[in-house]
Amino acid sequence: MKRDRLLLILYLTAVVAATLVHEPSSLAAALVVLLLLAGHDATRLLRRSLRVILVFNLAVSLGYVLLAWLRGISPWETLLLINLRVLLLTLLTFLFISRVNLFRALDFSPTLSWLLALAYSQALGFQRAHAEFRLALASRCLERPRLIDRYRASAAAAAWFMDRALATARESALALRARGFFDA
Amino acid sequence: MHLPDGFLSPQTYLPAYGLAAGLWWLAARRLRRTLDAERLPWLAAVTALAFVLMMLALPLPGGSSVHATGVALLAVNFGVWTAFLAISLVLALQALLFGVGGVTALAVNALALGLLGSAAAWLAWRAVQPVHEVLALILAGWVSMVVPAAIIALVLGIQPAIAHDAAGRPLFFPFGLAVTLPAVLIPHALLGLGEGLLTWLGTLTLKRLRLRHAV
Repeated sequence: MKRDRLLLILYLTAVVAATLVHEPSSLAAALVVLLLLAGHDATRLLRRSLRVILVFNLAVSLGYVLLAWLRGISPWETLLLINLRVLLLTLLTFLFISRVNLFRALDFSPTLSWLLALAYSQALGFQRAHAEFRLALASRCLERPRLIDRYRASAAAAAWFMDRALATARESALALRARGFFDA
Repeated sequence: MHLPDGFLSPQTYLPAYGLAAGLWWLAARRLRRTLDAERLPWLAAVTALAFVLMMLALPLPGGSSVHATGVALLAVNFGVWTAFLAISLVLALQALLFGVGGVTALAVNALALGLLGSAAAWLAWRAVQPVHEVLALILAGWVSMVVPAAIIALVLGIQPAIAHDAAGRPLFFPFGLAVTLPAVLIPHALLGLGEGLLTWLGTLTLKRLRLRHAV
């Protein structure tokens, strides 16, 4: 079995295992193991994970503190368990992403890996274009753009993306047919 | 709107994966029936479009913004099964390549947003279209936001009841239905209006572009 596919299976098993464990100490130990496995990337991945979960977890945690206070119960054990698990799962995912080539892991299905590769490459291009649209609007405005300007900018960007999606579908089909991809 | 990782119990996400796997297989089989040189690049392009639509911000008064989903736009213009596959692929890309969303929540998100959101939008559009085309598209967009929100609120709200320890403390998402339903549904009922406008204007644009690209 290929390394990437094996790591994908290990990752999915670890994800399920992390949701079956309800001991904060075990989850904390697993978190330490993950950070050791991450090596030089540990700080970067931990910071990235914390950034991703911060807003949602903070909202849930503060809400639960309020609810627990109203009910006269202690919230800390529940909050420790939930936040540790979410952090563990997020860190696990980022470690997986940084170590595994997903396209190689999914190459047991040529159609799936090909579809993912094509969608991913286009999504990356769109993501870059989206960032450029945002910067273009900011660079053309001396003050904060008005609501109507932001609507116009979003509408223009959406129209451009739809145009590109249709054009790319056609171009990809022509390119693949020309190379005999569908001949087999 | 979609769920992050770690808030759903295995009693929820494992059956959801079972159900989603069957429906993904069914959707892929339906798609394969019409598989040709155009179909796969087309699905990849629709997936990339769904991905970027989820990045687009719908501006709100006061300087804030929310993100569109594009679910109704895809369902009305490309069909429910294509929308389901495209949204599922986007969620998988976000979870496994960008680290957003989460793998435990993937199946629930795909079923709520991709399948039920698309199906509700398509049904609302088909029901009202003979009466008023624009209203049908706006309603489809609104429904595509509210139905998945209701399902996600339900799924989150049942967590304390189905996954708790011996002392009754929640092990996953800690709030019940009395909190999740109003907290999720009320904002999404308002945000759905923006999604409705996106569906209407997006469909107009797509019709024009399809003529140009002859697809």
